Amino acid sequence: MRYDPEVIRSLVHRDHVHRSLYLDSELFDLEMEKVFGRTWVYVGHDSLVPKPGDYITTRIGKQPVVLSRHSDGKIYVIYNSCGHRGAIVCNDDRGNVPLFRCCYHGWTFKTNGDLDAVAMPRGYGKNFDLSDPSLGMGRVPRVEVYRGFVFASLAPNGPSLEEHLGQAKDSIDELVDRAPHDEIDLSAGVHKYMFRGNWKMQIENVVDMYHVPFSHESTIRRSGRQFGRRSGEDSSSEISDRGQAAVRWEERAAWGSRSNGHSFSGHQPVAEQIPDDPVFKSYLKSLEARHGAERARQVLQPKRHNTAFYPNMTLQALNQHVRVIFPVAVDRTEVHVYPVQLKGAPDEMNRGFVHHLNVTHSASSLIQTDDLECFRRLQAGLQAQGSDWVWFARGVETDKEDERGDYVNNGTVEVQQRAQYAAWLRLMTEDDADVGSGR
Amino acid sequence: MSVQAAEPIAVLGDQRSIEDFLIYEAQLLDERRFEEWRDLFAEDGHYWVPLKLEQASPEGEPSLFYDDRRMMETRFERLRHPNIHSQNPPHRTCHLVGNVVVENVDTKRGECWVRSNMIMTDYRLRTQRLFSGRVRHHLRGDSGSYKIVLKRVDLINCDDVFELIAVPF
Repeated sequence: MRYDPEVIRSLVHRDHVHRSLYLDSELFDLEMEKVFGRTWVYVGHDSLVPKPGDYITTRIGKQPVVLSRHSDGKIYVIYNSCGHRGAIVCNDDRGNVPLFRCCYHGWTFKTNGDLDAVAMPRGYGKNFDLSDPSLGMGRVPRVEVYRGFVFASLAPNGPSLEEHLGQAKDSIDELVDRAPHDEIDLSAGVHKYMFRGNWKMQIENVVDMYHVPFSHESTIRRSGRQFGRRSGEDSSSEISDRGQAAVRWEERAAWGSRSNGHSFSGHQPVAEQIPDDPVFKSYLKSLEARHGAERARQVLQPKRHNTAFYPNMTLQALNQHVRVIFPVAVDRTEVHVYPVQLKGAPDEMNRGFVHHLNVTHSASSLIQTDDLECFRRLQAGLQAQGSDWVWFARGVETDKEDERGDYVNNGTVEVQQRAQYAAWLRLMTEDDADVGSGR
Repeated sequence: MSVQAAEPIAVLGDQRSIEDFLIYEAQLLDERRFEEWRDLFAEDGHYWVPLKLEQASPEGEPSLFYDDRRMMETRFERLRHPNIHSQNPPHRTCHLVGNVVVENVDTKRGECWVRSNMIMTDYRLRTQRLFSGRVRHHLRGDSGSYKIVLKRVDLINCDDVFELIAVPF
């Protein structure tokens, strides 16, 4: 094999990685096997399948899967492929059915993936065992749910979801704690965009605070502030001071786990403001009723802006959304963005979240489109062979380690990306037997 | 040649005046006269492109566009920014308006409802795309012309995965 562990190790250094990581389809196939095919991957949210028989279709890496709620009330992640000849069984994005039925020869499956019945069973001989589990759609080996977020792993063994999430788990808590009923709902709908670039560009980008004054220059007014991103706010955080990142920007926390690849950037200054309007006050009241005044105040002071759950999901606190990354090919990526509704918050407030996300993260939005253009130029520019490397050196001398051995730093550093590539290297070079053995 | 504003309307909801207005509106977009396009909207006017077939409301469900005039202002201010990377080079667009049907005219309120079909091709960097959809205009007669109360565009691929979009449909 061309990419044995030794070759792969030569491609990834602490502060730079080889351009082939974005260009070589052989490496892409290996990522589907070693990264998406083994580690915990976000597959969906339980609010998308509230009732028995509810299902959504999605993918883990390139493999089609179904996330369903079975009649036992539990969530299952099953392969979206008929146990007979292999056709896609569930053809819709989502639905509710008593049984899944294949279009080709009419085999039916329970909503946990088990074979229910075959058409014209007398045509099968005595030796053909219809109770053989391998004739079902097949279940993904491991599924775990954390506060509604459903993750699955295609590897039968490995660390638990909790171990895998590590400190990134707190970002889920930070978001869900903001819901007076302690649950969020992702069922409002979804924005979907596509770019002609490698999937890693997206996961690098969400926690990249260095690009903001430049990529998003067109969203920054002469005052250095961005346009208003929340209900009732005319303008947003100060981003730029004559082409430099604003001072507060450099104080923001930066964190990355080099064992698991998760990372976050600290909260935007504007997130500290408590809006002074009646809708927000009634929200505050219900939060205080739930948590008490002091805890409610804490909940409203999020510490994190974007968190990237390696390899395929990101959360944002300011324009609340869950983003899911789908690698399609080495140079093609699809992204789905779900607005987050806080259960128990005033309808008007939840409507405001949806409304602002149209403007910040849709395919026609004012912010996301800047990133999409940069991704396109990245993929095109990387074809040049003037250099072999892509650099993530910003702040490497000032990286510190926390008690768990994760990287910490501040501001517009590239520590998050250094953590992502450390985890990438581990996953890409680790034997199946060692998966998750950690750092 | 730049388009001129349509003739003053004599009769509210008259087919010819409606067609003139829709063509004028589309041409303003093709000529990137965005501020003039925005001024075709009433003070309470909205531009809406749903993400779902038969989407009931722009509230509580995401949309590709749901802009009031203030949002349009922010959007077009950005489209005019010298360093808007996604518009270097800009998208070129060509709108085609057809199958125009005046559905309802309420002379008392001075308003009318119009259905049409649209095709928009856009082009940028060796990629040409085709968008098409059903359009509904809710119009209000206003000093000899129309103002848009709501323009709703239902793309036939509204739930597709889109590459970046800059110019309204």
